[in-house]
Amino acid sequence: MNRKFYILLVAVMMTAFLPSCKKTEVNKAIIITGQDDSHNWEACSSVLKEILDATGLFAADIVITTEKGGGMHNLNPDLSKYDLVVMNHYGEDWSEAVSEEIMDFVKNGGGVVFFHINGSDGEKHEFEIRTQINDHPVTKDLPVRWMHASDEPYQRQRSPAENMQVLATAYSDTAFGGTGRHEPVLMAINYEKGRIFHTTLGNAEDENSPALQCAGFIVTFQRGAEWAATGYVTQEVPSDFPTAAGVVLRPGFREISLDEAFSNISSYDIDKSTKYLTFVQDQIRKAAGDEKQLVKLEKKMVAVLKNPDATNEAKKIMLRELSWMGSDYCIPVIKSLESDPELSDNVDFALTRLQK
Amino acid sequence: MSEKTSRRDFIRRSAAAAAGMVILPEIIPASAMGMNGRKAPGDRIVMGAIGTGSQGMANMRDFLRLKESVQFVAVCDVDTRHLEMAKRIVDTVNKNSDCRTYADFREFLEKESPDAVAIALPDHWHGIIYTEAIKKKLHVYGEKPICRTIKDGQIIVEAVRKNNIIWQTGSWQRSQANFRRGAELVINGRAGKISRIEVGLPDGGRGIGTPPVMEIPPELDWEMWLGPAPKVPYRGVCHWDWRWILDYSGGQLTDWAGHHVDIANWGAGLEHTGPVEISGTGVYPPEGIYDVPVEYDITCRYANGIEMRIANSSRLQHGMGTTWYGDRGWIHTDRGNILTASDKTILEEVIGEDETHLYRSENHWQNFIDSIHSGTQAIAPIEPAYRAISVALLGEIAMTTGQTIYWDPEKEEIIDNPRASRLLARPYRKPWVESEV
Repeated sequence: MNRKFYILLVAVMMTAFLPSCKKTEVNKAIIITGQDDSHNWEACSSVLKEILDATGLFAADIVITTEKGGGMHNLNPDLSKYDLVVMNHYGEDWSEAVSEEIMDFVKNGGGVVFFHINGSDGEKHEFEIRTQINDHPVTKDLPVRWMHASDEPYQRQRSPAENMQVLATAYSDTAFGGTGRHEPVLMAINYEKGRIFHTTLGNAEDENSPALQCAGFIVTFQRGAEWAATGYVTQEVPSDFPTAAGVVLRPGFREISLDEAFSNISSYDIDKSTKYLTFVQDQIRKAAGDEKQLVKLEKKMVAVLKNPDATNEAKKIMLRELSWMGSDYCIPVIKSLESDPELSDNVDFALTRLQK
Repeated sequence: MSEKTSRRDFIRRSAAAAAGMVILPEIIPASAMGMNGRKAPGDRIVMGAIGTGSQGMANMRDFLRLKESVQFVAVCDVDTRHLEMAKRIVDTVNKNSDCRTYADFREFLEKESPDAVAIALPDHWHGIIYTEAIKKKLHVYGEKPICRTIKDGQIIVEAVRKNNIIWQTGSWQRSQANFRRGAELVINGRAGKISRIEVGLPDGGRGIGTPPVMEIPPELDWEMWLGPAPKVPYRGVCHWDWRWILDYSGGQLTDWAGHHVDIANWGAGLEHTGPVEISGTGVYPPEGIYDVPVEYDITCRYANGIEMRIANSSRLQHGMGTTWYGDRGWIHTDRGNILTASDKTILEEVIGEDETHLYRSENHWQNFIDSIHSGTQAIAPIEPAYRAISVALLGEIAMTTGQTIYWDPEKEEIIDNPRASRLLARPYRKPWVESEV
């Protein structure tokens, strides 16, 4: 990692906070990667691009530095085109000119995200992360405790750490070669007009590594990137954000869509994942009484009840939700299921609550 | 029945007589009160136990520690292992083999006529079984939280009122010196005028995913265990861990509100009212059959302006326990005999004779027995228990709907929100119906 850049990360920082104007356009991001012998930077960079692009807030380019010994001559990005620089590079120093350009980029309001980078790692294992600051845009509304998928916990990071906000920590367990201390995991720094976000998560062999597929890593990376690029976070905390209850993986790196949730709910059975139901419940909570949004969800639930191919278990869980959030719209369809002995208890439950 | 009533009247009368002579034991040797120092048999409270799992057994042991004060005669549980264990202990203490066992509480209530019953069941059973026991005019030691829904709570409160029985909630913190002292300091203004209260309850734990459906163990009547709750296949989750499933419990939030919210209300003088505005967010596990929130952060506003925040302890400065904040400082209390304050001198203050003195009990179980004898209210009566759990249940509704809930604590109804109002009850599965009071 470039020394000057590291200094930038940790140096005494100005506290000036100047909110950027809200952009409507997609933010341009540049992922600088290469040279790193100890990490699969190719796989990681392609995942980082996918994760950023999936937000709809970013369009990311990947720039690969020349191989070690190549002199870094090819790294000459025109940062004026970018809102965000993502650092996934560990190798030779780049030129003074590039360093200065990056410094200026941040000073003038650009954002930087540091991904993982090298450090002193413990052995891979699942560990719990503690959100330490809840009123920072990156961590607002996140659970206070959440499980991270198998990863190497970072430890013994050294820096003056001045003006740095430690957003989240993890206990570095001595049973896994750790320090026995709580170590920073997510960090944020405001530097002049710019912002820097650092995540230590994501030690990955390839794109199938749990450390990258962890919904907690993905979401905090996306939120950190948005904050670094813009100064605010518009993304809601998704329903699959992990909790103290356990790790959540996103093999496809994307959040469930509403249609995907309902098509999976139709085939729900008692031994299957409950995540599509919890997604829908989360959508109901987020609707917060908004009639339009609730009716939209109700229609999709009623469609499951009407669907002759939908399982009884799917219908049961829909009846449970409709029992309190349904409108008159769902009543005739619920009543039509009354004669089904498999569903009669659940129909009774729903109609009693709906007082119909 | 008439024989039983007269026996209870006898207990009340003799207790009233004893109450008039509080220094009696110091003057008259105990041996004069009964044969060889033993109390006359009529003074013993005859008890039964419904629910003899971990909490039920803990309660029974606490009652049995009172030695000659109680005698258990019958036990009831849907798990024959629980029944056998309970019977073994009762028979050992009674030095006989007469303890009667029941798998069905209805048969227990029909055939048995104890003075009192200790009930420790999953929350989804409280509404029916508490009410039915109360209607039999049994004095009840009932576990907190006293109800799974506000509707159940209202029925239980009404049943206690109508049947004139002694009710003791299992919120034993009231009988601990530090909690009482903290509450008494607060209610006498030692922290100044209270503006806000923080209540820290445990964080939720790890999930277990979706375990496979299993064969129901022969000792367990699963259908009866489920009772009014929705029918689901058995997956090995039953005793104790029902707390992590919304059909039976609201998780740590509702399990612990009956303790620390109860103490908060006691000190702040809120134990006979409820909040008027409730909002909150919950963190729900995305996956698995454990579906209670593992984190929660609820804010309630009371009509007098007090704001109460109830959250999992990791979110709060003082962690677990109750902290009252007033214009003169704060007072914090928690288990482990913890009582601290912003200024130590607050804790040394003397409560004057003409100030408010909270009910004093040194032993929660003895207090129940004493209250039966004296015919006076126990330290943890029904309404405060209902008001304490209501806070958590309204918080649960705020979290489920994502909305701010407006509550009328007098009429006990949600204002202008039909959807949220439906969440005040959980319809029972047939053949179970709400008890008529």
